[in-house]
Amino acid sequence: MAAYLLRRFLQAVVAIFGVMTLIFFVQRLTGDPTYLLVPETATKADIEAMRVSLGLDRPLIVQYLSFLWGILHLDFGRSYVQNVPVMTIIAARLPYTLELTAGALAVAALIGVPLGIATAMWRGRSQARGLMGFVLAAQSMPTFWSGILMMMVFGVWLGWLPPSGAGGWKNLIMPSVALGLLSMATFARVARTAVLDELSKDYIRSARARGVSTGRLVRRHLLRNASIPVISISAMEISQLLAGAVIVETVFAWPGLGLLTIQSITGRDFMVVQTIVLLGAFVTITLNFLADLLYTVVDPRIRLTGTPG
Amino acid sequence: MTSKRARLTVRSVLSGFLAAALLGSAATAAMAKETFTVDLVNEPSSLDPQKQWNPDSYYVYRNIFDNLVTRNDAGEIVPQVASAWKQVSPTEMQFTIRGDIKFQDGTPLTAKDVAFSIQRIIDPAFASPQLGQFNKITKAEASDDKTVTVTTDGPYPVLLAQLTKLSIVPEHVVEKVGDDAFNLKPVGSGPYSFEAWQRGVSVTLKRNDDYWGDKGPFETVTFRAVPDASTRVADLQAGTADLVVSLDSDQAAQLQTAPNAQALTALTERIAYLGINTGKPPLDDKRLRQAIAYGIDREGIVEGILGGEGKVVGQIVSPAAFGWSDSIEPYPYDPEKAKALIAEVGDGAKAELQFATAPVFDQRIVQALQQMLTEIGLKVEINMTDMATYLKAAQGPRDSQPMLSFGRWSCSCQDADGIMYPLLESDSAWSRYSNPEMDKLLNEARSTLDEDKRRADYEKASELVKDDVSLLPLYQVAIIYGASKKLDWQPTANESLFLNRMSWQGE
Repeated sequence: MAAYLLRRFLQAVVAIFGVMTLIFFVQRLTGDPTYLLVPETATKADIEAMRVSLGLDRPLIVQYLSFLWGILHLDFGRSYVQNVPVMTIIAARLPYTLELTAGALAVAALIGVPLGIATAMWRGRSQARGLMGFVLAAQSMPTFWSGILMMMVFGVWLGWLPPSGAGGWKNLIMPSVALGLLSMATFARVARTAVLDELSKDYIRSARARGVSTGRLVRRHLLRNASIPVISISAMEISQLLAGAVIVETVFAWPGLGLLTIQSITGRDFMVVQTIVLLGAFVTITLNFLADLLYTVVDPRIRLTGTPG
Repeated sequence: MTSKRARLTVRSVLSGFLAAALLGSAATAAMAKETFTVDLVNEPSSLDPQKQWNPDSYYVYRNIFDNLVTRNDAGEIVPQVASAWKQVSPTEMQFTIRGDIKFQDGTPLTAKDVAFSIQRIIDPAFASPQLGQFNKITKAEASDDKTVTVTTDGPYPVLLAQLTKLSIVPEHVVEKVGDDAFNLKPVGSGPYSFEAWQRGVSVTLKRNDDYWGDKGPFETVTFRAVPDASTRVADLQAGTADLVVSLDSDQAAQLQTAPNAQALTALTERIAYLGINTGKPPLDDKRLRQAIAYGIDREGIVEGILGGEGKVVGQIVSPAAFGWSDSIEPYPYDPEKAKALIAEVGDGAKAELQFATAPVFDQRIVQALQQMLTEIGLKVEINMTDMATYLKAAQGPRDSQPMLSFGRWSCSCQDADGIMYPLLESDSAWSRYSNPEMDKLLNEARSTLDEDKRRADYEKASELVKDDVSLLPLYQVAIIYGASKKLDWQPTANESLFLNRMSWQGE
């Protein structure tokens, strides 16, 4: 177990270092942010002065080393655009991203998993087909469309929910649904396959033969065994949700990291983009790692290499 | 305009944007206007008025700070912090500073603060993005509490126009807390004081009840970042926003049927133009450039695409700027004449022309221009890149500058110098034109204080632009805001949003 953990940890460090290096150089290949920071009327001398003040006149390798040196000290640099430390900006945005991810995950899992179970139990019946149709529709609607539609209905016509922005819990509902509907389909499909898989197994048949009721069967036997693929998909979906929130955040003016990413990329705010990517890589790698660990907790049958039984 | 402000004194527990959000528009309407909510596109980059340059920043900070001078709603330069000014020598202008202005921390604003603000922005080490607007100033000195002398490196006729953008910062605060802390908690002398910045979400300002001039009509004003225009319209219709910026003509049309909202438009100092690289074949041939001028249906663009919001012009100098001439008419739309000119050029006209653009520009217009040029027989290839790449190419060496480009120029100074000099003077970064006659006119016009001579020079320069098709002016750009029907406000050409010039028709 310890050797396995160590190996996974080293892999993670190498992966993060790779991502960091790649994003640093790829960004700088795309060009110079200075032009975006000055008015159109700026002279060549003004542009040059700005470049020097941002440190962009230094050789690339020097910039890279100073970036690495900063990271070792947990200093992620300053935003070119906002002129404040990157961490100040990200720390302000991160809670909103976490809120939205949690909300979307709740929508996706709480609707998706029961739907998946229901369609598996009712396999072949018209109810199941109807439900799958709903899942498909929810997944196929582009978020910028479903988002605006919801906003018009619940925000403008009915006036039940604020159309955009962050504030109270009411602000969280529409973005969570818009984002969660996409992942819901994934949860439903995975849950359905897992349940179908388990349904065909011997222990289910013998339980049925013993006269165990369907409800008890699902609760006591099926769910526990079918939950492993659902857990692993959750880990992947969380990283998807963190990354895929860009459109939802833009439509609902939700101040999370997705929106910040887009704004920083278009503004060529290198320092902010780098740090977000780094954070994203870190979160994705950590989540996958945690998911692996969780399997062993949920299902002791899974044995990891290098560990005695 | 500014005198009919509503007096709003009713206090209510359920005020503010949260209440508006919970209760909907009907309930908000019945309340007095304590909290005014503005949807911007992005949050301000910075609230230090000398550290950043973009509309989302200056929409906010121009309410926190006073400027040395300002423009009234008619566009004339009028006193603000300076009550009077006089030219004491060709290179020196003396300003008299009002004695009754206090910063929001209670300290009086003096001539020293004015001199400090100017010295701060012209210091290259401070690296203000606005340096280019003030780099003709060599120094500013306060001789007593009420007098500041600004010295320029030569006679500089655009000084006052540039100083309409000079926000006065308090020397004692900046010196004490430093630039970084000042950026986070700015203190000015304007009609609104900084209250809070919830990063990524909103900036809140509070009315400065001790303000020396016209006071603001709302007690609290919240500026929010709402990047999607459809969302801004929805906010307005739901009543969670009272004023939204940056709408297009389709969204403005949508508001016409809304019961509680209206579109407010103004022609700005911005001119949309087709940039032409006159230094590179085949567009170094004047006949081809004239063909382009005849081949573009400007009325069609303004009426068909912009819904009539905009005004066809024949000069790159804006009607809202000094140097506009009434006598220069745009080229008529004459595709037959264009085709004839192209036939005359022959094979040279068959080269493919790269048309540079970036996503921030209205692609409907770029495509319409491409189509019109294709119709007269030119080969035009749209080359879309991100904004930074576009800007770099546009300001690069003449050879790598785009053959064609679409732009919307504003110098934020409402003076021909800020428009023609950077776009047409041979050595300027943006210029794709070299003509000693043009250079002479532009250099003379920027170094004399004689207004009549300047006007004559710019008229000649504009005639030259038309005759030589150095670039092709298309239309004067309109800016469209969406607002609650209760808001009474006239947007101005300089794209500013002065809260104390608004009023609210509450019940």
